[in-house]
Amino acid sequence: MRVEFTLNDKAIKIDVDAGRRLLDLLRDDLGMKSVKEGCGEGECGACVVLVNGRSVNSCMLPAGAVIGKSVVTLEGFKHTERYKAIEKGYLKAGSVQCGFCTPGFVISTESLLNANPNPTDEEIKEGLSGNLCRCTGYNMIIKGVRMAMEIGEGLW
Amino acid sequence: MVDGIRPDNLHEALNILAKQECTVMAGGTDLMVQRARGFALAPKFDKPLLFIDHLEELKKIYVEGDQIHMGACAVLTDIVENEIVPKVFRDMIQKMASPPTRNMATLAGNVCNASPAGDTLPYLYAVDAKIVLQNAKSSRTVSMDEFIVGLKKTCLKADELVTDIIIPNKVYEYNYYRKLGQRKGMSLTKASMLGLADVQDGKVVDIRIALGSVSAKIVHSTDIDNKLKNRTVKELNEDVSRILADYDMLIKPIDDARSTAKYRNVVSLRMIKDFIESLNQ
Amino acid sequence: MKQKISKSILRVDSRKKLRGEAEYISDWSFDNLLYAKTIRSEKPKAKILSIEIPEIPDGYFIVDKNDVPGANRMRTVVSDHPLFAEDDVQYIGQPILLVVGPDREIIYSIASKIKITYEEEEALFTLEDAIEKSTVFTDYNYKKEDPEKAFENADQIFEDTFSTGYQEHVYLEPNGIAAEMKDDTLFVYGSMQCPFYVKGALLEAMDLPEDKIRVVQSVTGGAFGGKEEFPSLNGCHVAVATKKIGLPVMMIYDRDEDVMCSTKRHPSKTHIKAALDKNNHIVALDIDIMLNAGAYNGLSPVVLQRAIFSATNVYNIKHLNVRGRNYMTNSLPSGAYRGFGAPQSLFALEMLFHNIAIKLGLDPLEYKMQHILKQGDPTCTGGQVREKVVLPEIVEKIVKNSDYYTKLKNNKKYQGIGISLFLHGCGFTGKGETMINGKIILVKKGDSVTLKVSSVEMGQGAETALRKIVAETIEIPIENVIYEKVDTGLIPDSGPTVASRTTMIVGGLLRDTALEMKKRWDEDSFELSKRYEHPKYLSWDDEHFKGDCYPVHSWGANVAEVDIDPVTYELTIKKIYAVYDVGVPIDERALIGQMEGGIAQGVGWASIEVMESREGKLVHGNLTDYKIPTSMDAAEIECDFVLNPYEFGPFGAKCAGELSFVGSPPAVAEAVANAIGKPINHLPIKPETLLEKNDAC
Repeated sequence: MRVEFTLNDKAIKIDVDAGRRLLDLLRDDLGMKSVKEGCGEGECGACVVLVNGRSVNSCMLPAGAVIGKSVVTLEGFKHTERYKAIEKGYLKAGSVQCGFCTPGFVISTESLLNANPNPTDEEIKEGLSGNLCRCTGYNMIIKGVRMAMEIGEGLW
Repeated sequence: MVDGIRPDNLHEALNILAKQECTVMAGGTDLMVQRARGFALAPKFDKPLLFIDHLEELKKIYVEGDQIHMGACAVLTDIVENEIVPKVFRDMIQKMASPPTRNMATLAGNVCNASPAGDTLPYLYAVDAKIVLQNAKSSRTVSMDEFIVGLKKTCLKADELVTDIIIPNKVYEYNYYRKLGQRKGMSLTKASMLGLADVQDGKVVDIRIALGSVSAKIVHSTDIDNKLKNRTVKELNEDVSRILADYDMLIKPIDDARSTAKYRNVVSLRMIKDFIESLNQ
Repeated sequence: MKQKISKSILRVDSRKKLRGEAEYISDWSFDNLLYAKTIRSEKPKAKILSIEIPEIPDGYFIVDKNDVPGANRMRTVVSDHPLFAEDDVQYIGQPILLVVGPDREIIYSIASKIKITYEEEEALFTLEDAIEKSTVFTDYNYKKEDPEKAFENADQIFEDTFSTGYQEHVYLEPNGIAAEMKDDTLFVYGSMQCPFYVKGALLEAMDLPEDKIRVVQSVTGGAFGGKEEFPSLNGCHVAVATKKIGLPVMMIYDRDEDVMCSTKRHPSKTHIKAALDKNNHIVALDIDIMLNAGAYNGLSPVVLQRAIFSATNVYNIKHLNVRGRNYMTNSLPSGAYRGFGAPQSLFALEMLFHNIAIKLGLDPLEYKMQHILKQGDPTCTGGQVREKVVLPEIVEKIVKNSDYYTKLKNNKKYQGIGISLFLHGCGFTGKGETMINGKIILVKKGDSVTLKVSSVEMGQGAETALRKIVAETIEIPIENVIYEKVDTGLIPDSGPTVASRTTMIVGGLLRDTALEMKKRWDEDSFELSKRYEHPKYLSWDDEHFKGDCYPVHSWGANVAEVDIDPVTYELTIKKIYAVYDVGVPIDERALIGQMEGGIAQGVGWASIEVMESREGKLVHGNLTDYKIPTSMDAAEIECDFVLNPYEFGPFGAKCAGELSFVGSPPAVAEAVANAIGKPINHLPIKPETLLEKNDAC
């Protein structure tokens, strides 16, 4: 199937199996290695990317479903002011350990703050509940989101 | 390699279905995992994929008369964020899966999956939701009981699409919902209970109870609901063991990886009791 | 007062990880890369009668036992696991052969057509069955003083049995490994904790000289023990394949395969008998620890050692009889997991103290405090507690921080608070460090220093901690300390990244060497190296288990607050308080990160992490069924420290990584016991069990 969409603001045209997972399309065909496969069943969130501004599990999205849509991965998002605020917040809070879940958390943080710029702690926990982390116990990630909100005030 | 078809509108989608059998792809969150084959491999589909996630006709959420229409391809997040939808239903959906999954999964997908653990189903059963099915020639409207014919089975025909899900535009005074999972975030349901009621001057004028994950289908009995109606809260509380006995007959839970039949049974009844006790005398 | 070294700095690896630029093995590319898929046993115990291979297209290969140049065994403590099954299989998931080729679709198609005919044999599934049939792999026993007599003379005797379940590591990056031949040298790359373990395994399997094998660690997305011995297996698999075919081979497990086939925390059963004197003091313990090792013994003997040497926890018990046994069952091999056998025995003993105190109408914490070890006391193996014991200060602090006694007094039904006391022996058990004899190298060139160690960064912050130790010692910026790529061809063997030994042992060697280097800082370039020397005052008899089984211990206390839903029995862990003596924190934020992560894993093991096996097959074999905590399950955690510098640790640091895990399970269990007024002798605590307990009253 011919799939046309924008990836990190660039137009992409590619012929793929319509049922190919967006995850594989991004990683193997388009080189977006920030997108990680942690479970392949929508449980871990390591493969989360933005589609039309919202977080989605790219392991559960068929290639044919992104036609005409805008897909953003960290390769594109890392150049934005919002990313920089998230990076600073995460660094300051010590949110990163092994790092495999980190790209997914960054994208989920963006999706959360985009929908709700001033979440409560409970809303942050809910907003990140699709991303598993085994290293931190989450408190330092939640703190990282709060710090990102302060550092990037007005960006969302 | 599987073919994909992306129609421009509903009409075109139905015409395609009239001509060939397709696997209908809305959100993909169930199908893609059910058909998954492993690391870096595309899921296996034997029929062409008909993509309908983008069809605007199927994404609308609106009020018409005393009913709320929710398009089949409205994603769960759209419903959660839409204030015309009764709050208890939105809260129930908010407890499903996780934000990235709710950003993709559709209401119709949850309904068509016809799983007793489907978290939108207890509400749809309880309020007598209507499911609108269309093919290229006509449309029909069915009740939940007609739509879901058994475990993971629906009456949907190969040339049909679910297009609309209709619920009454009604808010209940009492809204009790408990979903039990293996953990607090992102969990499949091991048992759930929804209770809706209106009470006037100590008398129950409307009451609906539905249970998830304790039988092959959602447990909802209009007969029992009607039996409980027009009695005082005090009477219901006095009669609670008989009411629970009625439900005990309907509950047929199983042991599986998530829980035990016994736990599901006991706790479901305890939630019903808790709900009845929560009604103000 | 906080020491300068404890002041937090930014982790050196986090920016790259945040930007998605860190390259895990599945992100690597090779020219002409082939992929491998493992075909595994579908039977728990069977003879393999035949293997039918379909027609294989050009460029695709089957790799099996016949392709192993050396010994077809995975080298570890007991090298009993075949790399590829020979005539029989002993567990579901045991590797039999690999399908290798360039296209994953075609590999999948070949794999689905391979037919294996088995002759099934009677299998043993549960620890209970194994105990009944006495399928003992390892049987250890040690005694102190005269336990028989102590039990004869006892005023009262208490007996109790405790058990715990499987736990899966769920490192977020599933196991992944790759291999290639460059000229005549074999390179193995992958996600791992112990590059020299993998090298050791390759030496035996590949029949290659030492200098023709190099193992290179890729960025490792979490491990927790799960990548301790396991990469020696998949590492040999890809090595055998690449040697046979001549092209690079990569093997990435998807999550289901990883959960179904990788090692787990040992399920356990512990029976304890306690002899009390007329003052209710415990004078003797008879402890019998039984672990389910799975189908092969592998690393399990050393796990069992830590289990039996941790069996008396922080308590000074005069007479002891401790027995530990590993049992064979036809299930997947258990292995290393943070805590390494200690969590099982600590849980048992903490709950025993609780249960006895409750039966006697005593305050559990006071009762425990009457038994704690003091400096100079003998350890369970007749060594000596040499460090200053600050457990009373730790307890005082945690009681205050958590307002423990007020909350305990106000305990309502379905609400509970619980406390655990614990220690963890730092570094390898017994002679481990002497046997490894770890070596480090520091190279000075101009203004910068390169540190060469085999301790890996796997998320725990080792790279930052070790660079910081060198930088702070020499007083140069951390940017000037270069961490050499973990490549066995470039670095010395400073030992595996396990046993909470990295900061204390390897960091200690680096600190000593950096001090020497600092003295000669005016020289432009030179190299220093150092080998580990066991402190002379320590002695260990490995045959009779006598002496100092650990050089020093880290100590701690945890308090857990829980709620139980009166309608559904759902358990909520509201808050965990923690106070630790880890000597001196090397970096406070990084340390808190470790402690919080370990606590959360412990809480998971105690509550929602249910992993059961039925007829040799995991019932909870993927992340949909096996649940680890999400952010919504995360308990609030408050960490605090008591400083207690250790003479031989860098800047006074002791161990921390595993200490973080061991305390929260018994604290949670005691809190639940207090909430329902019944003992909790089994982990994980499921709502289903609480319902049964409630019905029983």
